[in-house]
Amino acid sequence: MTAPAQPGHPHPSLDDPRIMLDGQIGQYEQVPPYPPRTEREAEFYTLGDGEMFLNMGPQHPSTHGVLRVVLKINGERVVDLDPVLGYLHRGVEKLCENSDYHHIISQIDPLEYVSSLFMEWAPVMAFEQLMDVQVPRRAEYIRVLTGELLRIASHALFQGWMALDLGGLTPILYSFIERDEIVEMLAAVTGQRMLFNYFRIGGVNGDLNHEFMSRLGDWMSRAAVQHEANIGLLNENEIFVRRMRDIGRVDRDTALRMGVTGPNIRAAGIPFDVRRAHPYSVYPELEFNVPVRGSNGSGDSLDRYLLRLDEVRESIRIIDQCLHNMPDGPVMARLPRLLRPRPGRAWAAVESPRGLFGTYVISDGTDQPFRFRIHDPSFVNLQLVGMLMKDNLIADTMAVMASLDPVMGGIDK
Amino acid sequence: MTAISRSLGNVTTAGRIVIPLLLLILVVGPLVTVFLATVIGPWVSGVVYSNLGIVRFVVAITAILLFSIPAAFIIIYMELKVIAYMNLRVGPNRVLPAGAAHSVIAGLKVLTKEDFSPSSADKTIFTWAPVMVFLTAVMTFMVIPFGPGLVGAPLNIGLLYLFAVGGMTVVGLLLAGWSSFNKYSLLGGLRSAAQVVSYEIPLTLSVVGLILLAGTLSIDSIARQQAGWFWDWFVFRQPLGALIFFIAGVAEANRTPFDLTEADSEIVAGFATEYSGMRFGFLFFAEYVNVFIMSALIVTMFFGAWNAPVDLNAVLGYFHLAPFWVYLDPGQLGLGLLLVLAAVPLLATLALAAPVYMLRDNMPAWKALLIGFVLFNALLIGALGLVAYIDWDWVAGLVWFMLKAFTFVFVFVWMRGTFPRVRIDQLMGFAWKWLLPAALLNLFVTAFAIVILKSAGVH
Repeated sequence: MTAPAQPGHPHPSLDDPRIMLDGQIGQYEQVPPYPPRTEREAEFYTLGDGEMFLNMGPQHPSTHGVLRVVLKINGERVVDLDPVLGYLHRGVEKLCENSDYHHIISQIDPLEYVSSLFMEWAPVMAFEQLMDVQVPRRAEYIRVLTGELLRIASHALFQGWMALDLGGLTPILYSFIERDEIVEMLAAVTGQRMLFNYFRIGGVNGDLNHEFMSRLGDWMSRAAVQHEANIGLLNENEIFVRRMRDIGRVDRDTALRMGVTGPNIRAAGIPFDVRRAHPYSVYPELEFNVPVRGSNGSGDSLDRYLLRLDEVRESIRIIDQCLHNMPDGPVMARLPRLLRPRPGRAWAAVESPRGLFGTYVISDGTDQPFRFRIHDPSFVNLQLVGMLMKDNLIADTMAVMASLDPVMGGIDK
Repeated sequence: MTAISRSLGNVTTAGRIVIPLLLLILVVGPLVTVFLATVIGPWVSGVVYSNLGIVRFVVAITAILLFSIPAAFIIIYMELKVIAYMNLRVGPNRVLPAGAAHSVIAGLKVLTKEDFSPSSADKTIFTWAPVMVFLTAVMTFMVIPFGPGLVGAPLNIGLLYLFAVGGMTVVGLLLAGWSSFNKYSLLGGLRSAAQVVSYEIPLTLSVVGLILLAGTLSIDSIARQQAGWFWDWFVFRQPLGALIFFIAGVAEANRTPFDLTEADSEIVAGFATEYSGMRFGFLFFAEYVNVFIMSALIVTMFFGAWNAPVDLNAVLGYFHLAPFWVYLDPGQLGLGLLLVLAAVPLLATLALAAPVYMLRDNMPAWKALLIGFVLFNALLIGALGLVAYIDWDWVAGLVWFMLKAFTFVFVFVWMRGTFPRVRIDQLMGFAWKWLLPAALLNLFVTAFAIVILKSAGVH
């Protein structure tokens, strides 16, 4: 194999195809094929007695996208692991810095493709702070309504993937029925099934239409019952519960130290929810609980799974209140075509299905942000993987990873 | 013979080939027939009769090999369709109505795919491992009685043979995993070794109680001891044994929830990761053949084998009825038989076509007649099947055996659609901490009960 030499790159990449193709058959080069650069690397890539490396990903059925994990295993037991990121890196932050403020909404949309409305919500809120825009109350209610719908869709998908990663074939298809209905509903009002591009600076793109409302009415009449039925598929399954219990335990201190947010921190016993801790939009007017589990110090995969199911119940309550309280009025504030906010900086965060999703924007007075930064919850939550997968079995890596519910689009940005 | 009346020069190319062949067949055919009947025939039949055992064995092997592939096709189709309906999907629906031939087409596809092997694989072992897996699966078919007398090799140590040969499957899986030069395959192969070896013990121990009760290792004889009503089946005398056998059987067949060897969300496809084409096909078929074998074994040993759940003779005797096939003697009809054979198809077709023709508007007569004819044929086949069922006990046995076996296949498929997968430590813990003590308990209780009953004079 004669790969072109790379001037200026003294250390070839781990993904260099020559690792596989050089040398005689059956002989291996050193992995990685360069002297270790850090102490950690030297420690990880030194095999002990009876250990071997197992490369999982970036193409693997259950690494939730293109996460790559190099496992050091001893039999079935994971001794150590090295997550490798960046296979989905698009440079979204830089893309956003070169787009005008309206354009950013569609640039940031595919970050977490499972719940993309939340990806629009945070930057839109930050820009509104910069420009002192007053969003109409009806638009705020529509944002909460669609957002909570999408939270249910995301958690439904989580439940299905969780079962699929543990070998259950059926629940994913039941989950997709729920998700598909919600996504179709949102498509009726936004025009898209996945990357909605719906929120606008100063409101939303269009008012709720008849098709959306009739579909929503149908769905709401059976949502709670259907949710409990889908829960029953798995929660009373002894195998499922035994696989999840006592796996990947996160205690309060660890969760706080690692900066975990979202369902993962609430399942560790800390009631932190951006909707309550730093209220935004019309959430202060709505009644809902912040479900907490793992207060007794368990904080395992089962808690994280059950907590998301609790959240779905709360989301259904919120949607119900939104429908009852929604005022009439415009859905867009009156704004100029070309937005040139005052120089300054703004931070806005929303509670996405995976945790605190925040954007930090610095404006220099032009129509493009000077700096644009994204705080993605999946990225922060994924830090737990190194801690939780160690000393577990190979099968448990799936239970742990699925219960953290990462989305690689957001992690690799 | 218009072709002959024309001159040969006018005949097409095909005709020039066919006409001499036709003459050849007309002349040589009778000669060969006479030769076969007078000279070769007696010799062949003499050889066959003097070696009937060998001939029977060869025929049985061929039949079993020919049976195993369609059985696998049916189970694969069941798996596709049943799980699809459980998932609220439609499943295969393209090839034939309801996609009935989907798995056959998939099998043909597997045959035509590129036979690929990794550059660093151990080629010899890599090639022969799937054959070994498949053959061991098929070899266990030899001792399973599909009906009274319908058994490939009626061994008197059938159960021993079964566990010995069934245990060899793991060698094939281990070889497949090792020779693939892939860490996922290696893990899958080692998992299957650990799993099958562990579950072999409760599987074997669970039937020891049954062997004590039956007093034989011959599967055929165990099947015959369960004749009569359904409460004569061994499952009611060995319920714990049946349960352990079923659970361990699921693990032996590497099925959900014990399908760790090919856990797709963990180790991609386990030992089958690097296989493609027909080599993968062999592994795939072997899995489903194993499912059928496990179902067949459960049925044979615990659920009355080929015996019907109802003792028909007892029921008829209760109502003072002789079995009614005594009256059915077509030889007595004489000339009437000929008349029946000539007239009944015609009359029945007309009779069945008439309501179709009258009930539907715009129904052309030919279509009504066609429908009548098809209906008549369906009824006739049903009637012939019924006669065969009544007259030949092996037909009845085969029907009941297949019904029961496929019921258990359905349970296997059902479990696949329902359960998640267990973890390797839970799997091993379950085998050694629960199944093995339970199997031993079952054995001791059975032995104790037999001793007590014998000393009390009950047999």
